[in-house]
Amino acid sequence: MKRVFEQIYALTAFSLRFFREVFLPPYEFGEFAAHLENFGSRSFPLVSVIGLLMGLILALQTKPTLARFGAESFLPAMVAISVVRELGPVITALVVAGRVSSGIGAEIGSMKVTEQIDALEVSSIDPYRFLVVPRVMAGTLALPLLTAYADLLGILGAFAVMFVSGGMGWQLFMSSTIASLSVADIVPGIAKTFFFGYIISMVGSYFGFKATGGTEGVGKAATTAVVFASFLILITDFVLVKVGILLFE
Amino acid sequence: MIEIRNLYKTFGSLKVLDGLTLTVKKGETFSVLGKSGTGKSVTLKCIVGLLAADAGDIFVDSVRVDLRDRKSLFSIRQMIGFLFQSGALYDSMSIRDNLIFNLTRHHKVRHNEADEKAVHYLTLVGLGRSVDKMPSELSGGMRKRAALARALVIEPRILLYDEPTTGLDPITSAEISDLIREMHSKFGITGIVVTHDILCAGIVSDRAGVLKDGVLKYTGTLNELAETRDEDVKGFFRNPL
Ligand SMILES: Nc1ncnc2c1ncn2[C@@H]1O[C@H](COP(=O)(O)OP(=O)(O)OP(=O)(O)O)[C@@H](O)[C@H]1O
Ligand SMILES: [Mg+2]
Repeated sequence: MKRVFEQIYALTAFSLRFFREVFLPPYEFGEFAAHLENFGSRSFPLVSVIGLLMGLILALQTKPTLARFGAESFLPAMVAISVVRELGPVITALVVAGRVSSGIGAEIGSMKVTEQIDALEVSSIDPYRFLVVPRVMAGTLALPLLTAYADLLGILGAFAVMFVSGGMGWQLFMSSTIASLSVADIVPGIAKTFFFGYIISMVGSYFGFKATGGTEGVGKAATTAVVFASFLILITDFVLVKVGILLFE
Repeated sequence: MIEIRNLYKTFGSLKVLDGLTLTVKKGETFSVLGKSGTGKSVTLKCIVGLLAADAGDIFVDSVRVDLRDRKSLFSIRQMIGFLFQSGALYDSMSIRDNLIFNLTRHHKVRHNEADEKAVHYLTLVGLGRSVDKMPSELSGGMRKRAALARALVIEPRILLYDEPTTGLDPITSAEISDLIREMHSKFGITGIVVTHDILCAGIVSDRAGVLKDGVLKYTGTLNELAETRDEDVKGFFRNPL
């Protein structure tokens, strides 16, 4: 049990250091841009597929239930709200965590076990600033964009179901979708993904830095990072939803 | 000048350094011989502050190595070129960029000049035609030489080498040893060379010592070492031919 608390303490200290370092020069613009691109290109295909499937499945699943109550016309609203508030952010974050947290864990982990991080140290290049800060910045900014994109695809997926099965027109679908969404759905939905993006990159970096003992250590860093990031995303989501309810409702 | 006084280092219950003391004078090159696992790499890492010793002091040009004092650590690292035993090349960059990176970042050299230097030093170690290769495309010996070039390119006052010739053929080994000797006398470099290669030690070093049981036993010129009766020391001088 003591070990668990030590681990949590270490991870917290490691994560908070970001807020001190991010404002200090030298700024790694080049690294930041490279990691932003990397984060996006790694996740984009996956997020596209998952976003679309999310809308398709949700619509297929709820349509019969709604039909039983004669409430089929509520489907666009229901899908839009669940996707934008909850499913889009969380599913995107979990999927991206599987891809990116493990990627970062493996990348930094292999730098650690092959002494590349020591080499940076010896050249007085702060490894945290050079490796962690740009990755976390990229993650924090990229995930909200990816989530917005996944949300859109999810809504499109729902439209596809409605169109094929019931012949609902584009205009009707979109107008009821837009009418159902309020700022109070969109803002919290997107806002929490900044936290998720931060977690995804930070947890990957942390376990990468902790890697020891050759290739085996690198693999372990990658898998532990995914498990831990997913867990933290869900906990954070729970907390943020609670806070949101207290604040806004 | 590098001064190590009574250095102790343990890992858990494993005692690695047990009161190691060594002074390497300005412009002198000292070779550390010793069996595998005796703490040679650990000693070098203590000097640059990658590992904290349990007790003892290290001075590099009269600046004390203290891991809590980032400023003095920075000024020490500014003077030192370090060759890792594993090479530790940044595998996301070409070897040319590996060299340029250190120069432009740490030593504030302009990019053009850094590029010229990078190519120059890579040519010196025989990699003139592979400058744009990625580390993963190189053989083990080429990687070692690229890492050596990365240590040399900053033209430091002090160089620490962890097995510069391991994994190289005898001809290249001798060339690399000559290159090290030449650089050291040309720039008055102070150096510590960890090596198992007695020919290399013979070429590059003014003095040498054998690390055993956590201390430097038998220090002296190589000729003096060759005369000692200790079995562990004699083992290094056994001619393989
Ligand atoms: N970071 C570390 N954590 C735990 N033990 C370590 C660490 N670094 C080195 N050791 C141990 O310290 C001892 C000395 O290691 P070191 O790498 O200095 O050996 P070496 O003399 O360089 O050997 P070689 O010639 O094989 O490179 C070894 O037993 C090693 O297991
Ligand atoms: Mg070693």
